Amino acid sequence: MRLLRSNLGKLRRRPASWVTLLLLVGLLALIILLVTVASRSASDPEAKLAGTLFLTFPGAYELILSMVMGIGGLLAVTYGAAIAGSEWGWGTLKAAVARGESRIAFTLLNYASVAIYTWIGIVLAFLAGLLISMLGATISGIGLNGLGDRDALLRLPELFGRAGLAMAMNAALGFAIATVARSQLAGIGVGIGVFFAEGIAGVFAPDLIKWFPFAASSAVFTGGSSLGGGGGGAGGGGGFGASLDPQTAIVVVAAWLVASLAVAAIWTERAEISG
Amino acid sequence: MSESADGVALATQGLAKRYGPRVALDGLDLRVPTGVVYGFLGPNGAGKTTTMRILTGLIRPDAGRVEVLGRPFGRGDRRRLFEVGALIESPSFYPFLSGRENLRALAATGAPTSRSRVDELLSLVNLQDRAGDKVSGYSLGMKQRLGIAGALLSDPRLLLLDEPANGLDPAGIAGMRDTLRALAAAGKTVFVSSHILWEVQQLADVVGIVAQGRLVREGPIEDLLRAEGTVRVRVAPDQVPTAGPALEAVAGAGAVTVEHGPEAGWLDVRIDPERAAELNRSLAGAGVYASRIEVGTTLEALFLELTGTSPDLGGAAGSAASGGAAPDGPRWQA
Repeated sequence: MRLLRSNLGKLRRRPASWVTLLLLVGLLALIILLVTVASRSASDPEAKLAGTLFLTFPGAYELILSMVMGIGGLLAVTYGAAIAGSEWGWGTLKAAVARGESRIAFTLLNYASVAIYTWIGIVLAFLAGLLISMLGATISGIGLNGLGDRDALLRLPELFGRAGLAMAMNAALGFAIATVARSQLAGIGVGIGVFFAEGIAGVFAPDLIKWFPFAASSAVFTGGSSLGGGGGGAGGGGGFGASLDPQTAIVVVAAWLVASLAVAAIWTERAEISG
Repeated sequence: MSESADGVALATQGLAKRYGPRVALDGLDLRVPTGVVYGFLGPNGAGKTTTMRILTGLIRPDAGRVEVLGRPFGRGDRRRLFEVGALIESPSFYPFLSGRENLRALAATGAPTSRSRVDELLSLVNLQDRAGDKVSGYSLGMKQRLGIAGALLSDPRLLLLDEPANGLDPAGIAGMRDTLRALAAAGKTVFVSSHILWEVQQLADVVGIVAQGRLVREGPIEDLLRAEGTVRVRVAPDQVPTAGPALEAVAGAGAVTVEHGPEAGWLDVRIDPERAAELNRSLAGAGVYASRIEVGTTLEALFLELTGTSPDLGGAAGSAASGGAAPDGPRWQA
């Protein structure tokens, strides 16, 4: 537990944690703002309606969380890669191993702290998005009556659980890539590359790509619902009509999560550490 | 757990390691007695850092045995390192954390370490005034001092330091030397890898010299230097042409080496030190009077001879260690 506590303390002080959160909140605010402004000036009634979705509760709850996932998926990959890669690049893994620390414990507890901060990031970004939407609704003269909708509020924990699993898997993927690459920059670069490559490949082979990590993670949350576009982001087939059903997606995402962590842990355990 | 019955804190036997086609270690046999400062010397690429990495479990040898603190050390023996402190290559820190936070983060790994130990060590290495500053703003010497503090965190019985004097100023080197000597005096074993010889000569009790992955000489430093049988004679530089033949008349042809540059006027004579008086008599007979006569050799001369290396421009400044992990031990100067 002292190592996990120490890791959490380290990440709290790490600029990358705050920069990632601010980037997520900033992008979320920008998208909500742009959609709202664009829809108000649109002549098409459907476009106008789409713009109010972010401002109309209880539907906005799910939409905001979907947006957090869509943007946050890529950020989670880069965050996981940055944390794992820096332990190699800065030599801090070497120092810990030379003190007799278990390589596997060090790796998994390091990831655990990343996952915890990822979950905290989801909650904080969601709350920020909520405030922005409420502000937008007030300015636009849209009522906030739906805020207290009991059914929507009761569904939130399940949605957060699904989003948390998907984001944790995304972070684990970046974490594993950077561990294998032994570099945060290489990990971030490859993670981003895989993210977009999967999205592009999803156009041509959606039935195959839907099993891939980013496509599956978007399906965990949206599962082909009407909100699929927001949750899918750039990742895979979620937005192309060939996504997994949510329950299957949960299993697939969990498998990717476990596989990523296993790769990171085994790789670290067997690696020759130098530099 | 205690050291082996014969008082050996660290031993290797037939240690071998290759990196592709390059042989880093080629059957290295080391024997480090308990309670000494051991200077592990060798030219660049001789296998010093590879040895350090094996001793700390960072890499695995291709062949050979390692004993740490009296027991075999290999895969699955990571807890043995709870009693070992190490600084391998450059010190490693989180740049966004302060010196104190870095030591606390390091203390959260490996052997349990009290929080008070961190401040004791910051004081020992004279970083207490900068302990709250981010490490990214530290100088190389400050990082090195913090790295040594990190190696001392668990009050280790065996300390492994790889080029610990890198970046230290003269006061820092002197402080480190005092600290490491105090550690050895307290019964701990200090293993210092270095290629900076004058500092090792001041610090170490025992040295092992490696070249091309093999041990070429090992033993108490005084014994090694005495056994080399060199007498150094200092005369006026303009008398060197006369002194050389006079010395060769006693020691034999080719036994005299003339120093140049800043050392001009020194002649190294390979001869039994017991015959130094004969040399002096021969010089006097030639009308040359020695201003100094020193018995023995320098570690540098021995090193160059054994490793087959030649003096290298820019390769000279000192290294090594000294110390006292004890909180009440000597403090390093600013």
